Amino acid sequence: MKKSILLTALLGALLAGCASTELQEAQPLNPPQPELQSMQADDNQGTAYTSPDLNLQELRGNPLLAKDKRGIYFDFNKYVVKQEYMEVIQAHAKYLNETPAANMKIQGNTDYRGSHEYNLSLGQKRAVAVKEALNSFGVDDSQIETVSYGKEYANLDCVEQNSCGEDRRADVVYTVE
Amino acid sequence: MKFIKLENNDELQANLFSFAIHLALFLVMIFSVGWQTKTPYYGEVELWDSVPVQKKINKTQATPKKKIKQKQNTKVQKSAEAKAKAKAQKEADIKLKKKKAAEKKAAEKKAKKLKKQKAIKELKKKVLKQEKIDKLKKEMLEKEKVERLQQQIIEQQKIEKMQAELRESELKQQKKPALEGEDEVKGGVNTGELNKYKLLIQQKIQQNVNQQLCGLDYITLEFRISLMPTGELLGQPKMTKSSKIKSCDDAVERAIIQSQPLPLPIDSGLFSKLKNLELKFHPNGVE
Amino acid sequence: MNKFLHIIFAGFLFFSSSVIHALEVIEILGGKASQIPIAVMPFKSFGAQKDIGKINSVIKGDLGRSGLFYPLDTRGVAASPNSDKEVNFSQWKSLEAQFLIIGRIDFVQKEKIKVSWSLIDIYKQQTILSGEYVGKNNQIRAIGHKVSDKVYERLTGSKGVFHTKIAFVEKYNNQKFKLNIADYDGYNITSLLDSKMPIISPRWSPDGKKIAYVSFEKEKPVIYIQEIATGKRKLLANFKGNNSAPAWSPDGKRLAIVLTYSTNSQIYLINTDGSDVKRLIRSRSITTEPSWSPDGKEIYYTSNQGGGPQIYKFNLESSEVSRVTFEGKYNLYPSLSYDGKLLLYLTQDQGKFKVALQNLQSNQVLKLTKGPLDEAPVFAPNGHMVLFVYKNYGKTTKIGTVSINGLKIDPLPLGSRQVQEPAWGPIKN
Repeated sequence: MKKSILLTALLGALLAGCASTELQEAQPLNPPQPELQSMQADDNQGTAYTSPDLNLQELRGNPLLAKDKRGIYFDFNKYVVKQEYMEVIQAHAKYLNETPAANMKIQGNTDYRGSHEYNLSLGQKRAVAVKEALNSFGVDDSQIETVSYGKEYANLDCVEQNSCGEDRRADVVYTVE
Repeated sequence: MKFIKLENNDELQANLFSFAIHLALFLVMIFSVGWQTKTPYYGEVELWDSVPVQKKINKTQATPKKKIKQKQNTKVQKSAEAKAKAKAQKEADIKLKKKKAAEKKAAEKKAKKLKKQKAIKELKKKVLKQEKIDKLKKEMLEKEKVERLQQQIIEQQKIEKMQAELRESELKQQKKPALEGEDEVKGGVNTGELNKYKLLIQQKIQQNVNQQLCGLDYITLEFRISLMPTGELLGQPKMTKSSKIKSCDDAVERAIIQSQPLPLPIDSGLFSKLKNLELKFHPNGVE
Repeated sequence: MNKFLHIIFAGFLFFSSSVIHALEVIEILGGKASQIPIAVMPFKSFGAQKDIGKINSVIKGDLGRSGLFYPLDTRGVAASPNSDKEVNFSQWKSLEAQFLIIGRIDFVQKEKIKVSWSLIDIYKQQTILSGEYVGKNNQIRAIGHKVSDKVYERLTGSKGVFHTKIAFVEKYNNQKFKLNIADYDGYNITSLLDSKMPIISPRWSPDGKKIAYVSFEKEKPVIYIQEIATGKRKLLANFKGNNSAPAWSPDGKRLAIVLTYSTNSQIYLINTDGSDVKRLIRSRSITTEPSWSPDGKEIYYTSNQGGGPQIYKFNLESSEVSRVTFEGKYNLYPSLSYDGKLLLYLTQDQGKFKVALQNLQSNQVLKLTKGPLDEAPVFAPNGHMVLFVYKNYGKTTKIGTVSINGLKIDPLPLGSRQVQEPAWGPIKN
């Protein structure tokens, strides 16, 4: 009889509620991380963005090959070469066909909006579109290299300045005359 | 009533003891004491918006130089004091030179001081200008933040509106047809009034359910509560079905406690129907 | 006699229980997304000390940034309690606090501290969690982040991410670039790489020990993998054309990358040692920005096969492709939450670029930010916060956090640095 009273009393005490306190943790933290070394980009430092571009005078004096005409511009999110640029492209194709030693690089660019990777691909598409236009005039791929810089050199303020169209272009650059 | 003879003492003790425990438990069940409820104490607390600003110390102003009136010398006798005059003249010349030099120095000093004051002024201007620019920038950022927050509040209100509409349609399914227009009295209790208070209670608690702590799945949890006529809880909410997510169980329990006092009718008949409630929660809605 | 009494008792109980079963039932649907008000008192310092910084502001910053907590302003509140016995619960209730954190810092040795803390539930009027950490003076922020993690886990049930690291690219001197890592809140910045050419797409390995990134240093984009502790790096991919968009598989053994080897951007798989290059998708359109599902079975990516960029997914077993985003004409930069339930991406909405979330079960879309020129959103490893880039007035781009309930946006304190391309490191166990 007394036992059962005792048991009940015990049960009652237990059920009165347990306060939950987390176990005390006393642990040293991980040692501070080793000092990270700043790394220089190894070997080939790489030249600046503008590769040597040849003076137009040396390109047979054709005004269509003028340096200020070497940008082909595109609409937002598009990589179709517009008709208005075909004349200039044809002039370049003629030059390349007549000068087998000449080499050209087409650099694709985009405006600032969107992601770096998607714009890298879009810039590539633009460069390739110009290359294919040259192909259609008989130029061989061996004389053309396509490269994309995506939005890496775009103007961050083009939206405020309403000048985003200037960044959506493929540049034609001669690396060998 | 005939009293039945018992077989032996032990049995009597056992039965009495058993009866006592049952009675005690029954009493506890009916009259659970709210020994933890305290009336809220609204103490006074001094809250400062910011640390009091130190008063600026006024710089002392430079006093302007007073003009010293020079006493005019009286005329000196000529012949006998010509030498003295010449001497005095010489001395005067030297004095004049010294004076001029001193004046020149003083003038230079003054010019320097003015220049310095000017420079300080310029600097102050620059600092003020920069502060203005910083302030503007900050305001613009704040404005951006506020606009973003406002947009989010609008989106949140849209979601709440959708949920409210969902709730309404659920309620309509729950409502008894007799409620449309007429108040039906059933078992001595006005069902229309009853449902009104149920809705009020539901809305008050729902506002406090922080469903973010309940994941994304369609879970349910259930609690049982007892109320006092004041709308306060009698004892703690009792969870009868867990959501299996501890933070969700805790959040819903907090919501119930936060919702005190719950809106309750004054009529004792109606209150008796609402003093013990079963609450079923669907924090993420239903499929 | 026994039986009779028993029947009486049984009847008694039955009667009382039947009374209970006549309870009114109230169904409560949904709730309201709110921030839990929490007060974090300044921790008291004991022992000879210098000012090591305010640990309570680290904790307040952490909890507030998650969007689930609202740290209360405790300036001017009467003396800080030393234990839960000293807490004036009614006072805290009247300030609408639901929880309170108190603590102390003891300077135990020359450069060592011991931090003790308690989390107190104001409604239950008791301590529900406490702990103690020992560390160096300069680890006060790290200790603060640990406390935040513990409190966060206790109250939300989710893992805390306040101890994690982030990576980002900084452009400086107009034409130089640095790849940096820092605490998730922008403190303790260190540089991993310094270059004269752009760096993009940094991505942490699942074990947090390496970072893959794209560098233009060879005058074209190539992919490196760099070991953080040693600074050693290895060229992963330098194929003809562009090499970019590295994405680690969840098991850390392979990466999905994008090559323009065939003149068009296409997705390939490659082992971490550079071997076994496999083309994944054949398409005449752009396919880029691969991102793995947490179970490693699907790869989400961006493609313009439908005209503008949209997000698709590729099943590695069945090679099936299906489209995922349908709202709006311009959706890109996909990534998934750790539980695979939410898709985070960038969308163009009425001309503005905004961060968006899509619930992959209900397909509901929520715009998390307002734009106009936001980009590069990435999830915290517990899926509760997002790091993203936004453009300030003038030429600088900034990085900030936004909680996924949209209630808290916070810029990272990176000063006037021009920053972009953030990546969020994993939880450390």
